[in-house]
Amino acid sequence: MLNSISVGLGEEKVSRLSTDVLVAYGLGSCVGVGMYDPITHVAGLLHAVLPEPLNGSEGYTSKYVSHGIQILIDHMAKSGADPSRLIVKMAGGANMLISPGLSQTFDIGTRNIASALANFARMRIKLVSQDVGGNIGRTVRLYVANGRMTVRMIGGLEKDI
Amino acid sequence: MSSDSKMKEFNQELLASLQVIANQGIRNAARGFSKLIGQGLMVTDPIVRLVPFNEIPNMLGGPEEEAVGVYLKVEGDIPGQMILILPHPKAIDLVALLLETPADSIQSLGALERSALGEMGNMTGTFFLNSVAEITGLSVRPSPPAVIVDMVGAILDIIVATSGGMGPNVLMFQATFVYGDKQAETDFWVIPDPATLEIIAQKVANS
Repeated sequence: MLNSISVGLGEEKVSRLSTDVLVAYGLGSCVGVGMYDPITHVAGLLHAVLPEPLNGSEGYTSKYVSHGIQILIDHMAKSGADPSRLIVKMAGGANMLISPGLSQTFDIGTRNIASALANFARMRIKLVSQDVGGNIGRTVRLYVANGRMTVRMIGGLEKDI
Repeated sequence: MSSDSKMKEFNQELLASLQVIANQGIRNAARGFSKLIGQGLMVTDPIVRLVPFNEIPNMLGGPEEEAVGVYLKVEGDIPGQMILILPHPKAIDLVALLLETPADSIQSLGALERSALGEMGNMTGTFFLNSVAEITGLSVRPSPPAVIVDMVGAILDIIVATSGGMGPNVLMFQATFVYGDKQAETDFWVIPDPATLEIIAQKVANS
């Protein structure tokens, strides 16, 4: 029996229990970054909200893409993952408002993705696959047993990424 | 100014003024809503409260539930955001009411149905803002409405992403409209920008 563990807004969770599935429900402009060590079977999922702090006043938290990636890697290393072996995938970052006159102010999805890619490049992390952008929300699942990562959109089926 | 000092300004007097604005505004919004659906409705007393931003997606069923959001940005002297949120089946009921057709004749939310819901949001929002403008003497206007059909979590990411960067909590006015023989419910949320709270606080201090 699989056990779903919800990864809420601004959270990151790590598991090495093969019956666990890490889930970030209904990601809109938020971004989900999944990491998996195929040898030690440690899995981690980040649900980041914003690219980076607005004025640096709010400290170091996984709410931000720029901090969250490092926080998740550190957490995974502590749980027995080797950072050099991590398989990294990403989903989310939709731009939710497409109404004329509003769209320009709501490119947070795009900025989240750009921030993640910049951080991956800086940290020399290879992104294996991604399902990002568009204007539809996604639920993202990471299966701890085998590192399978899936995306489901409204009214759709779960598909592997 | 840090979010902490903003919170300190969050005194009882300001909260009381916000409650007055919320009460009158939301009652007026309900009048606009009621006018468009052509029947009376009940409106719950609006709640003004600080909500931890990460709890927002859980305030309406689960974050994966299918819902419809009608979103308006508030522009002018006191910027903010407004959103009407309803579960998908209730949105169909509401559209049926608006278009005066049986609910089972509506299969999906196409361009016409979305436009009717957008008009609904527009009317409700404009009535709310008219009331706010009257109370505060400030100028406010709504943006054109955006209608979003998606998972609750994805819809609410709009609010979270625009206000979540400001601090751990989001101030919102919340009320529920109940109408129709099916007791359809629509949630109406208003989220003033932090800068707006300062302007209202100043108004309160000077009055």
